Amino acid sequence: MSALVRMRVAGFARTGRSLAPLLAGLVVIGILYGGGQARPAEAYGVSAVVLFPVLAWQTKLLLDTEPDVQRHLARVIDRREWLAGLAAAALAGLVPVALALVLPWLIGGVKLGQGDSLPGALAVGLWTHGLALPAAVALGALASRAVTRSAGYGVAVLVSGMTWALVLGLKSSPAPWLAPPVMPVARAVTGAVQGGQVAVLSVWGAGWAVAGLACYAYLRRTRP
Amino acid sequence: MLRLDDVWLRYGRGGGWVLRGVTAALAPGEVAVVLGLNGVGKSTLLQVVAGVLRPSRGAVRERPAVVGWVPERFPADQPFTVDQYLGHIAAARGEPRSAAAQWTERLGIAGYRGVRLPDLSKGTAQKVGLAQALIRRPGLLILDEPWEGLDAATRDIVPELVAEVAGAGGAVLISDHRGETARLPGAAQWSVQDGHLTVGGSAEAPWVIEISVGAGDAVEAAARLRAEGHTVLRVGPR
Repeated sequence: MSALVRMRVAGFARTGRSLAPLLAGLVVIGILYGGGQARPAEAYGVSAVVLFPVLAWQTKLLLDTEPDVQRHLARVIDRREWLAGLAAAALAGLVPVALALVLPWLIGGVKLGQGDSLPGALAVGLWTHGLALPAAVALGALASRAVTRSAGYGVAVLVSGMTWALVLGLKSSPAPWLAPPVMPVARAVTGAVQGGQVAVLSVWGAGWAVAGLACYAYLRRTRP
Repeated sequence: MLRLDDVWLRYGRGGGWVLRGVTAALAPGEVAVVLGLNGVGKSTLLQVVAGVLRPSRGAVRERPAVVGWVPERFPADQPFTVDQYLGHIAAARGEPRSAAAQWTERLGIAGYRGVRLPDLSKGTAQKVGLAQALIRRPGLLILDEPWEGLDAATRDIVPELVAEVAGAGGAVLISDHRGETARLPGAAQWSVQDGHLTVGGSAEAPWVIEISVGAGDAVEAAARLRAEGHTVLRVGPR
C-alpha cells in the first residue's frame, strides 16, 4: 500500500494544485503572526483553527487530483486504495503543520513567557495540530469527488463542514460535540491546560476523526 | 474458479438494473469474450469482475489475487512520464521498478519512456494501459475493448498476450464490439443483452460489423445488406 501512497503524494506534488493550499496556509500563518508576538501555546491553538479549513481543502484537492479511472485501477491493484488516499492526504498535511509549528519562531511571531519552555510549547503545538489534522482529512475525504460525485456537491460538503466545525465550536454552541474540537482546544490552550481536559479533548477529537473516516470508508465501498 | 453468483448491479437506489442475475464461471486458463451492443453493460460487467464495482446483490467469488484490468480508455491525464507511471505501478504490484522494461520493449513504447502521459497519442496511452496490467503476471486479465486505438502491429500482439496469460493458468475476459475477437477462435462467448448474460453465445445477440465504403456506394451497399436480411444501424460519414 505504501507504493500507492507514494504515487498519490507524487502525483499531487507534481501538479500546481498542491501550491494553492500551501500558499493559503502560508498566508494565514503570516496574517496570524504578523500583528506582533504571542505566547506559543495560545498562538498554536488559533493556528490549528485557521489551518483546519486549509488542511481539509488540501485533502480534497489531493484526492481529486487522481483521475477516476486511475483510482479504479488502484482499487484493482489493492483493495485498500481508499486507505492509501487517506494516508497520502495525512502525509501531505504534515507539511503545512510543520510550517505552522516552525515558522512562528523563524519570523519572531512567538515569544516564550514566564514558565514557558520550548519543548512544552512545541508539545502543545503538536497536540493542537495533531487533533485538527485527522478531522480535516476526514472532512476533505467526505468532500472528495469519489464520494460526492460532482464538483458542486463537493464544494458544498467542504464549506458546510468548515462552517459547521467553526460555528458549533463557539463557546455558546448548543451542541459542540457534533463538531471536531478545534475551537474548544484553542480556548483551552489560552490558560493552563489540565490533564483531564487534555484527555477529554483528545478522545473527542479522535472520536470525531474516527467517525468521519469510518463514514468515508463505508461510502467508498459502493463509490469506487 | 472465478464465479459470479446471481450478480445484480445498479448505479444508485433509484437507478435501473444494469446487470440482472448474472451467473457465470471462468476457469483458470479459460478465455471468454463478452459480446453485446454498445451500452448493454459489458464494461460494467467487466468492472464487477475486476473488483472495481461492488455488486448490489450477489457476489463474485474466488477472484484471483492478481488482477490485471485494462480500461477502455487509459487515464492519461496524470503528471507522470511513462517510466515514472509504470515504476509506481510496478512498486504497487510488489515488483521491482524495472519490471516494466520488458513490456515497454515488447509493446513498442520504449522510445516514449520519458514522455509525459498527457502528451501520448491515444494508441500509445492504450499500450501503457496494457503494460500496467501485465507488469505482474495476472491470474485474471480483463481487457475492455483492447483493440480500440491500437495500430495494426499491436492489435496482433493482443491475442499473443491473451494466449500467454491463459497458457500460464490465468483466466482472461475480453469485451469487444468490433468483431476483433475472431482473432481468438478458442474463446468462450458471453453475450450481454438487457442486463442478462448468456454464456455460450446467443442467437439473439447480434454482432456488429463496421464497414467502410465510398460515399457514392453507401446507399447501394446499405440497400444490398438490408435486402440480405441484415440490420443497417447507421449510414453516414465516419
